Amino acid sequence: MSEITQPAKSGPVAGRLANNSQIVLLALLVVLCIGISLSAAQFYSVENVIAILRQCSLVLIVGAGMTMLLIAGEVDLSVGASLAFSGCVAMDVTNKTGSVFLGALAGILFGGLVGLFNGLVVTRLKVNSLIATIATMMILQGGVFLYTREAVQNKHQQPAFTDISTGYLGPIPLPVIIAAAVFACAYVALRYTTLGRYIYAVGANAKAARLSGRRPEQLKLLVFVVTGLLAGLTGLILASLMNTGQPTAGRGFELTVIAAVILGGTSLLGGRGTLLGTLLGVLILKVIDNGIIILRWDQNLQMIVPGVVIVLATYLDLVRRRADAR
Amino acid sequence: MTKFLATLLATSAAVAVMSASAIAAEMPKKIGYVTNYATHEWYQNVIKGMQDRAQQLGIELEVRDANLDVNKQVSAAEDFMSRGVDVLIITPVNEEGVVPLVRRAKEEGLPLVLEGNPVKGMTTMVAICDYDTGYHAGVEAGKYAKGHLGGVAKVMNVGLPLLSATVLRSNGFMDGLKTEIPDATMVHDLDGGGNPDRALEISAAALAQNSDINIIYGINDSSSQGGLQAWKASGRSQDGLLVVGTGGEGLGFINMMNTEPSYQIEAAMFPEKVGFTAIDAAVKLFNDEEVPQHIVSPTTPMIGSDGWKQYYSVDGTTRTINWDAVNAVQPAEQCMKTAADL
Repeated sequence: MSEITQPAKSGPVAGRLANNSQIVLLALLVVLCIGISLSAAQFYSVENVIAILRQCSLVLIVGAGMTMLLIAGEVDLSVGASLAFSGCVAMDVTNKTGSVFLGALAGILFGGLVGLFNGLVVTRLKVNSLIATIATMMILQGGVFLYTREAVQNKHQQPAFTDISTGYLGPIPLPVIIAAAVFACAYVALRYTTLGRYIYAVGANAKAARLSGRRPEQLKLLVFVVTGLLAGLTGLILASLMNTGQPTAGRGFELTVIAAVILGGTSLLGGRGTLLGTLLGVLILKVIDNGIIILRWDQNLQMIVPGVVIVLATYLDLVRRRADAR
Repeated sequence: MTKFLATLLATSAAVAVMSASAIAAEMPKKIGYVTNYATHEWYQNVIKGMQDRAQQLGIELEVRDANLDVNKQVSAAEDFMSRGVDVLIITPVNEEGVVPLVRRAKEEGLPLVLEGNPVKGMTTMVAICDYDTGYHAGVEAGKYAKGHLGGVAKVMNVGLPLLSATVLRSNGFMDGLKTEIPDATMVHDLDGGGNPDRALEISAAALAQNSDINIIYGINDSSSQGGLQAWKASGRSQDGLLVVGTGGEGLGFINMMNTEPSYQIEAAMFPEKVGFTAIDAAVKLFNDEEVPQHIVSPTTPMIGSDGWKQYYSVDGTTRTINWDAVNAVQPAEQCMKTAADL
């Protein structure tokens, strides 16, 4: 992350590319957009751009939290299961109370509680976050079927609920507005506040941060809760988009989010990363996803691409670290 | 006269008691069922149908869930065998994985009924005809298109190419549709993964690529729902659109038929009836009766917003099957096409 780590001034081509990753990503995004547009003019239709942005918004909202979490040196693999459960809670509470506000609040808070649980397990019980959040994912995937044996149907039929995902503010879909607001808040917090610098410091060297009088556990707990709240918010939007609370939704969503975040240059080892990179990572993955459909390519590629991206981005991260060490 | 009536009643009662005890003597005491994925609505209702039928016949039914794990399935089935169930019913997680179980059951003389998918060496299987299910829904969609869509049929198939059963449904739908509208075309043939969020995402991109469609076909309820939600999210009106779902798995399709004007046809597969039929097949095997290798469980298209009411009633979050109506649906003697025809 450029905020705390100076890029290497020299080194092999891969190292230089890695250190200018955002420019590379932006160039890649432009090339992708131009390439797909030349092959299929529908790609840059307003409708398709809106479809891409709507899909990006879901990944970006959770991606903002995940970026902070990875920078702090932790990870959350339970976000997919959490958003499915949150969506069920949001729909169920709206059905029972008739209040979209209470339903939305319940869904988001549920996500926050999952984040709090993850944070406590990691910071108090000292369980590795990879293991802890896989365990939470399993608990949630099983638990949601104790909560509801089937998809929670929309019984309230309140337009405000579906408007959360399908409504517009001017020409822009509401989920995109929500994602932009989340992104802006996270960007400011990470870039311009003490809290943001603290997150980088803890991820780069938790011991040093502790010796300088900071309390990494509290900070990590906070970031887990924020990520959980954002997963809950995404669950709410997804439930609104599908018009049901789907217990099976979000399978593999966590991998898409992580792929986008590390493609954006955030290190799996902590201490490095930017939200701008995450935004570019999300856009690239979703443009590729969309392009595969638009170009009528084999849809199995949609599963393969994030996997390849994870491998490449992790490799680039290693290259970048080696370059920094020189 | 009174004496005659009394004698008649006494004789009838004696015959009834004897018949009842004869039937009871031929019933298995305990049936073990190993399902592949009990959390799915489809299997919940298969189990419900089994429980209903087992209760009617006075049979104890025990259910275990393999949770999509073939090892867990084999272990649960072996446990049932060692505990001496009279009949075993299995929904295979993986056709190859349960072949040893089929062999062992034969060696031990344990009647075994498969549900859903065929396995090499099996005695019998209870399953719907996937191609026929799609075909009959396609015929009804064609009739609807003639009456309401100007005789034009441009289809977005939200499919699942990974499974032969779902490919058969999609193929059957298009073939049935073409019996009414020979010029019907499949504009999009998508892999929606069988789940609504994936189906939604894929459908949204496909509609952006080409929105000149007027029929959305889903290989299950989640797929048709994802396709429809993508249509709605793009701001389109449902006027001139027909959505056809498949499965009738839970409450989702009922909610959609009640609230979405375009959701007019559901290819009902009656999971409860599948469970009901599996128990009947188990009883027949227990009594060494001849059974076909494929016992077909009936399916039928439900049409219009009230179409489901003939077969189901809903109270809050519980749906109840109307057994008289469902049992009156005649199953095909044999499937028009099977996986072997692909």
